[in-house]
Amino acid sequence: MVNNPYYIHLLIMVGMNAVLAMTFLLLLRTGLITIAIAGFWGVGAYASALLSVKLGLWVWLALPTSAFISAIVGLVIGLLLIKKGGIGFVMLTLVFGFIVVLVFGTFEAFGGYTGIYDIPPPEAIRLPFFGLVEFTSKTPFYYLMLFLVSLVVLVFNAFYASWTGRAWRAIGQGPRLAESLGVSIFQYRLLAFVIAAAAAGLMGSFFAHYYGSIVPATFGPQKTIYVHVYAILGGIEYAFTGPLVGSLVMIVAPELLRIAKEVEPIFTGLLVILLVMFLPDGLLGLIGHSRPSGPAENLSRVARWVKEAFTRGKSASQG
Amino acid sequence: MGTILEVDNVGKHFGGLAAISRLNLAVSEGEILGLIGPNGAGKTTLFNVISGYFPPSAGRILFQGRDVTGMQAHEIVRLGITRTFQASALFMKISVLENVFTGFHLSYATSRWKRLLRSRSARSEEAQLKREALSILEFMGLGPLSGEAAANLPHGHQRILGISMALATHPKLLLLDEPMTGMNPVETENMISLVRQIRDRGITVMLVEHDMKAVMNLCDRVVVLNYGQKIAEGLPREIRENRVVIEAYLGKQGAK
Repeated sequence: MVNNPYYIHLLIMVGMNAVLAMTFLLLLRTGLITIAIAGFWGVGAYASALLSVKLGLWVWLALPTSAFISAIVGLVIGLLLIKKGGIGFVMLTLVFGFIVVLVFGTFEAFGGYTGIYDIPPPEAIRLPFFGLVEFTSKTPFYYLMLFLVSLVVLVFNAFYASWTGRAWRAIGQGPRLAESLGVSIFQYRLLAFVIAAAAAGLMGSFFAHYYGSIVPATFGPQKTIYVHVYAILGGIEYAFTGPLVGSLVMIVAPELLRIAKEVEPIFTGLLVILLVMFLPDGLLGLIGHSRPSGPAENLSRVARWVKEAFTRGKSASQG
Repeated sequence: MGTILEVDNVGKHFGGLAAISRLNLAVSEGEILGLIGPNGAGKTTLFNVISGYFPPSAGRILFQGRDVTGMQAHEIVRLGITRTFQASALFMKISVLENVFTGFHLSYATSRWKRLLRSRSARSEEAQLKREALSILEFMGLGPLSGEAAANLPHGHQRILGISMALATHPKLLLLDEPMTGMNPVETENMISLVRQIRDRGITVMLVEHDMKAVMNLCDRVVVLNYGQKIAEGLPREIRENRVVIEAYLGKQGAK
């Protein structure tokens, strides 16, 4: 199975969407709901595509550069919108999500609605232990994604575990109280917004070089809604395992069930309704009722759960 | 004793409604000042104005001689004014200790990068702050509950936790909004003794409270507000006998 390029492709998509879902949870923790995630994903993809195709920039440089560009766009949008707060913020980020698609589609410099083609894959590199890595098959992309997911998890976790994480959680749980303890709501929300934009941009850059071509419609707000579903399905209290489990289920299940692309939105829509009604804590919420304290604990809990599920199945088939 | 806080001719209007008008008030360093008055007298509004939640419509607020009018809530805390809230405002999902830790937001001395990368100095600072959090909880009598989720505490302990968090910000002036509300007589006695001990640590206290007995017992000085204006000011004994105050509370008929 691991050697089947189709499954490798699915796993790559799981990793990418999980990171996007992690950015949603990061912002949610600070009490912000944004429909701009796919927009920043698109900014990263377009920045990277243009840098490498038009300017011939080395792809390995285009990756961090486009994350940085996405962060700068996030800074500007955040400065403009975060003070609004509440539903106004949600709607304006939705507007941003639409504008990104319009801008990429309308201006010829961005390739118009037919998009950008012939985006190069990352250059071959020589790594210790791996030797010469050439991006000619899906497997190296898989390892690159694995590296990027780990990087994002490490960075996010460093923030969550520090005073920043405390300030974010304080703002999310009680903004007035947080302010009374000296937390600047605006500054810390802006910081979260910029970090989320950078991570989404990094994923966009990866996506552009992995697919080799991009079109504006991919980066519309509908994508952001899907990202929200991944995070909520996994469980919003689980900053890392939630998005991974959620996107794994949402991406692999329709494929395994051979659901046609036309029917898939109905499947997803139904799932959202069922989620809201029966599973507000997500799939991981089913396993543990006590609040988790860290990713390691969550992982061990999932591992236990998976192990139990398998051993139960085995004993049933034997009996 | 010098003046720590000066409310100079402050007014606060909400549309056409004046919640406070032309209010003058001075808080001396090291005192416990009680702020009383009937419902809607403007007591909480005054707290909100002093602590930066709403800017005043008129007048100035001076803290240690510095004009802090119009500063934002999170900036005011940095200068040394911390307030608590009427309702049990806590981070309910996390532990008592973590709640207090949130109050250390402005206390870190190590650089941001060191804290993110969890350098040795950042970790030792974290450990030292944890000891400080525990000592605050010990002082407030919540020591044994430090691992409990805030939501599981009884009401009286939640109020005490709210004040413990405020203490973590290292205030010079502490504004307590109805600290004794909903407490039984034993808890009220305990709160009175805690507030005294806080003052003895060198923190000036200003409090809004409806429990008259507690206010008279605890406060060095009392200011009475009615319809957003100061109607009396003095020692608890003087206030108790003040005719204007009795009228404000009981009406002219009751005062006879």
